[in-house]
Amino acid sequence: MALAIFKGRGSLGTERAQEAFAGYAFIAIPLVLFLIFNIGSLFYSAYISLWRWGILGPTAFVGIHNYQVILKDEVFHTAIKNSIYYTVLVVPIQVALGLALAVTVNQIWRGRTFFRASFYFPSIASSAAITVLFIYIMSADGLFNHLLQQIGINPLTFHNQGDWLGHQDTAMNSVLGLNAWTTSGTMMLFYLGQLQSIPTEVYEAARVDGAGPWTAFWRITFPLLRPAHYLVLTTSVIGALQMFDQAFIVGSPDGNPNYSLMTMVLYLYNATFRQFQFGYASSVGIVLFVIIFTATLIQRRFFGTADWAAAR
Amino acid sequence: MSQVTVTARPATAEAPLPRESRIRGPLSRGVVYAILILYSLLVFVPFAWTISTSFKTLPESLALTFIPQNPTVNAYITAWTQLKPVLPVMFLNSFIIAILATATNVFFGALGGYAFARLRFPGREALFLLVLGTLMIPDQLRLVPVYQILVNLQLITPGPENYFGIWLILAISATSLFIMRQFFLTIPFDLEESARIDGAGFFTAFWRILFPLSRPALATVAILTFQGTWNGFFWPLVIMQVQSHWTLPLGLTQFRFQYSTNWPPLMAMTAIATIPIVLLYLFFQRYFVGGLSSGAVKG
Amino acid sequence: MRKWLLLAASAVVALTACGGGGGGGGNFDATKVSGTVVLSGWQASPEEGQALQAAISGFQTKYPNVKVDYQPISGDYPTSMVAKFSAHQPPDVFYVDSGVAPDWIQQGVLQPLDDWASSRGFDTTQFYPGYLNAFKGTDGKTYGYPKDGNTLAMAYNTDMLTAAGVQPPTTYDEMTSVGAAMKAKGQIAYSLSPSLDRILAFIYGDGGALLSADKKSDAIGQPGFKEALTFYLNLFKQGYAKTPSQLGVDWNGKALGEKKAAIIFEGGWLDSYMKGTFPNVNYKWVEMPKGSAGKSTLGFTVSYSIGKDSPHKDAAWLLLTYLTGKDGMTLWTQGGVANPSRKDVPAPAGKDVLVSSASFAHPWSFIPGFSKVNDAFNNAFTAALQGSGSVDDIISKTKAALDQQLSAP
Repeated sequence: MALAIFKGRGSLGTERAQEAFAGYAFIAIPLVLFLIFNIGSLFYSAYISLWRWGILGPTAFVGIHNYQVILKDEVFHTAIKNSIYYTVLVVPIQVALGLALAVTVNQIWRGRTFFRASFYFPSIASSAAITVLFIYIMSADGLFNHLLQQIGINPLTFHNQGDWLGHQDTAMNSVLGLNAWTTSGTMMLFYLGQLQSIPTEVYEAARVDGAGPWTAFWRITFPLLRPAHYLVLTTSVIGALQMFDQAFIVGSPDGNPNYSLMTMVLYLYNATFRQFQFGYASSVGIVLFVIIFTATLIQRRFFGTADWAAAR
Repeated sequence: MSQVTVTARPATAEAPLPRESRIRGPLSRGVVYAILILYSLLVFVPFAWTISTSFKTLPESLALTFIPQNPTVNAYITAWTQLKPVLPVMFLNSFIIAILATATNVFFGALGGYAFARLRFPGREALFLLVLGTLMIPDQLRLVPVYQILVNLQLITPGPENYFGIWLILAISATSLFIMRQFFLTIPFDLEESARIDGAGFFTAFWRILFPLSRPALATVAILTFQGTWNGFFWPLVIMQVQSHWTLPLGLTQFRFQYSTNWPPLMAMTAIATIPIVLLYLFFQRYFVGGLSSGAVKG
Repeated sequence: MRKWLLLAASAVVALTACGGGGGGGGNFDATKVSGTVVLSGWQASPEEGQALQAAISGFQTKYPNVKVDYQPISGDYPTSMVAKFSAHQPPDVFYVDSGVAPDWIQQGVLQPLDDWASSRGFDTTQFYPGYLNAFKGTDGKTYGYPKDGNTLAMAYNTDMLTAAGVQPPTTYDEMTSVGAAMKAKGQIAYSLSPSLDRILAFIYGDGGALLSADKKSDAIGQPGFKEALTFYLNLFKQGYAKTPSQLGVDWNGKALGEKKAAIIFEGGWLDSYMKGTFPNVNYKWVEMPKGSAGKSTLGFTVSYSIGKDSPHKDAAWLLLTYLTGKDGMTLWTQGGVANPSRKDVPAPAGKDVLVSSASFAHPWSFIPGFSKVNDAFNNAFTAALQGSGSVDDIISKTKAALDQQLSAP
C-alpha cells in the first residue's frame, strides 16, 4: 500500500483506498504536530477553564463560574466590541488594498521588481519596529502633525488636540490605519501568487469577445480569484480578531486610553500574565475561539467550497 | 463566453509576455505608474528615517531631520560590540531557525495542501477545518501547555536540543497549508491524470508535476515563513533558554529600556536585520512573473 | 537502651536532613556550599549591566566555590517567568517587582526567607521598612529582600523657573499658583502622568488611601482621596499640566529634557536618562510637595527572591544575601545606577533627596489582583481627562474593582 504512493496502481477497486491512504499519509506529520501543540492546548484550556487555576496548578473546581464572570465583565464586553469593530473595518480595507496593489503590479513590466519589493516592504519589517516607528511619527509633536501644519491644518484644533494615539476617540482608528497598510503587503502577495495561475488566453478570449478591460477584470479575473478571496478573507478575519501586538505596544497592557485599545487577546494576555488566573484566561480563550470559528464557518459558506474538488 | 481548457507547461521565469498589456488589467499606464510611485514614496519614508537615525547621535536622534548633522558610525560600532551575544551569533541563530522552519513549511505545506486539494479521503473537509482551527488559538493561550510539553520533552535546555524545540513549534503553519491548497485548486485535474495513467504513484505525480508548477505559491510560503520566523519574538522569548541562543529580535530589546530607548544602535541593528529578508524577497519575487503559458488550447 | 537508640537515630536523621538544598536549621556552613546558581532579571541598561557585573565579581571573590550563571530575560519578563514557574523550572535568584509581589507570593512561587535569616544570621533591620514590607506576604513572612529602592521626588528645570520668576512649590496650593504663574507666561508648568503610580502619592499626601491598614477593606471613601484626585485633575483642566502624550513625548523625563514642561515627578531613573539624552538641561531634585496630611511619596522597589522550586537554594541564599547585603549593595549602587534600600549603605552623590524621601514613602505594593484595580483607575482617569467622566466616576470604578479583588478567594 505504501509503495503505491510512489509508483504503480492496483486494480480499480483499491485505487480509491490507495488515494485515501496517500491523503492521510501526506497530512500525517502536520496533523500530529497540530494535535500536540495546538488542538491539544485547546482541550487543555477547555478543561482548566472549569477550575480556578494558578501558576502552579488548580486550587478549586468552579464549573462554569469563570464564564459567568466574563459575561458580566464590562471590560470584556468592550474588548469584544473593539475586536469586532476593528475586524469589520480593517479586513475590507486591507483586502481591497492588497488586491489593487497585486493587480497594478501584475500589469506593469518596467520596474516591476522594484515596485513589488516596495509594496511588500511594510510587511517585511518586524511588527514591533514598525509600531514603534508609528508611535513616533503619530505623536503629538511628530512627523504626521508637522506635515498637517505644513498644509495649513492645525492639529491642536482637533478634538484630540493632535494626540492621535493617546485620545480615546482616535487611538483605535490610528492603529487600524497602520495595520491595514502593513498587512496589505501580505494580501498583495497572496493575490499575486494566484494571479499567476490565470492563463493569458482567458484575457485574449475576452478581448476577442469584445469585452473592455474593466469588464474583463470584474467578469473574469475577479471570479477566477475565488480561491484567493477565500484565503485572503479567512486569514484576515482570523488575524484581525486576534490583534494584539499594536494594542499592547500602543495601549500599554491596560488598553488605555479608556479601554479603546483593549482587544480580546490583550484581555487574555492580562488575565494570564498580569492576573495569573489561568482558568479564567482559558475561558476567555474558549470564548474567543468560538467567535472566530463561527466567523470562519460563515465565510466558508460564502466563499469556501472548493469548486474543483467538490466536483470530483 | 467560450469554454477554455488548457494544458499547461510549467511557468518559466521571465517568460516573454505581452508588454504592459491592457489585456492583463483595467488601468491605464499613466495611472498605474502614478499610483506606484506615490505609494513607494510613502513606503520608503520610514525606512529612510531608520537609516538616517542609525547615523545620528542619541540626542540628535530625537529630531525630525532626515540628514544627520554630524554623521557617525558609532551606532553601528555599538551594535557590533555591545550586544550579548554578539551580532554574528544572533544572526546565525535567527538564520538557522528561519531556514529550518521555511524548509518544513514549504515541503509539508505543499504536500499537505496537495492532499487537501486534490486527493479524496473520508473526513477531508472536516480535517481541513481542524487545520484552520489551529489559527484561531492565540499563542498567549497555548503558551503554558506548550511550554510544559517542551520541558517534559527535555527541549528547554542550554544545549542544541533547544533549537529542535523551537523548530517543532514553527515547523508547519496552517497558513502554509492554506496557501498551497488554494493554489492547487486552480490547476486542472487533467495534469495528474495523464501522469497516473502512465503509471506514476501519488507522491511521484505530486513531486514531479504539481510541486514544480506551484512556484508562485511556494515562493509566497517561503517568503512569509522566513519573514515571520526572522522577525518573530514570542516563541524565541519563551523557548530559548540561554542568552547564546537569542535571535535578533530578542537582542534588539537590549536597546530599549523602561524609560528610554537608545535609538541609533536600535535603528542600525534594525536596518542590518532587514537586509536578509529584502534579499530573500528579491530572490523569490521572480516567481510571481508569468502565468501558466499555454500549450494546446481546447474548445 | 532503646531510648538511647531512638536518640541516636533522631540525631542521625536530623544531621542528614541538614545537608543539601532547602533544609533549614542545623549548622549552615557557607564555605561548604558549591555549585552553580542561575541569576535572572530583566534587561538592564549598559551602565546597570556593568554595576551588576561588579557586584557579581565581588560575590565570586568572596565565595569562589559558587558559580553565577547570569541569564537575563529580554523584553517581556512576566511572560517568560510565568512560563518557567508553571513548569517548575524557575531561575534560582531573580527580580520581583514590588507591584506583582503580592500576586507571586500568593501563587506560591517564592521561597519564604525568615527561617534562614534567623538561623543563618542575616540582618534585615537595616532595610527601609517601606521597601522591605513590600515583600511580606499576608502570612507575615518575607519572600524577598529589596535590592534597591526608588522614591518619587520633584525634578524641576532651574532655568525655566527662574525665568518665570517663581520658586519651586512646596505644597499643593503652591503648585496651583506656580501653575498659574507659568501659564501667564505661556508655559506649561507640569508634565504629569495620568496614572495611579504617580497620583497615589498625592492621594496619600492629602490623607487618603486605597486600602485600610490591614489591607482587608478599601479606604477610598475616606477623606483625602477625592480632594487629591480633584486637585490633580484640575491641574489639567486649568491648563497648568499636560500628559506626556499630549506633549508628544513618551514619558515625563523627555518632556523635561525637551523643555516642554518645567516640573515633573519621577524617580532616580531620570538621572542617567538626562545625562545621556539631554546633558545640557539644568535641573534639580527636591522633595515632593506637602499635602494637607504632610509629606508623602511612593516607593518603588524590586527584590531578589528565590524560586520555591529552585534546585540550588543554598547557593541562591548566599548570592541573595550578598547582593542585598551591605557589600554587594554598595558595589551595585555606588556608581549611581540605583539607590540603596539599606540605611547602612551611603547614598550615591546627588541622590540625597531621593534616598531621604524613603523615610516617608508608601510602598507600591498592595494585594493580589491589584493590576485590575490599577487598570480600572487609569482608564477611568483618562476618560475623565478626555471629557467623558467625572471624579466620582473614577472613584466608583476604582472602588468596584478594588472590592472585587478584596472579595476574591
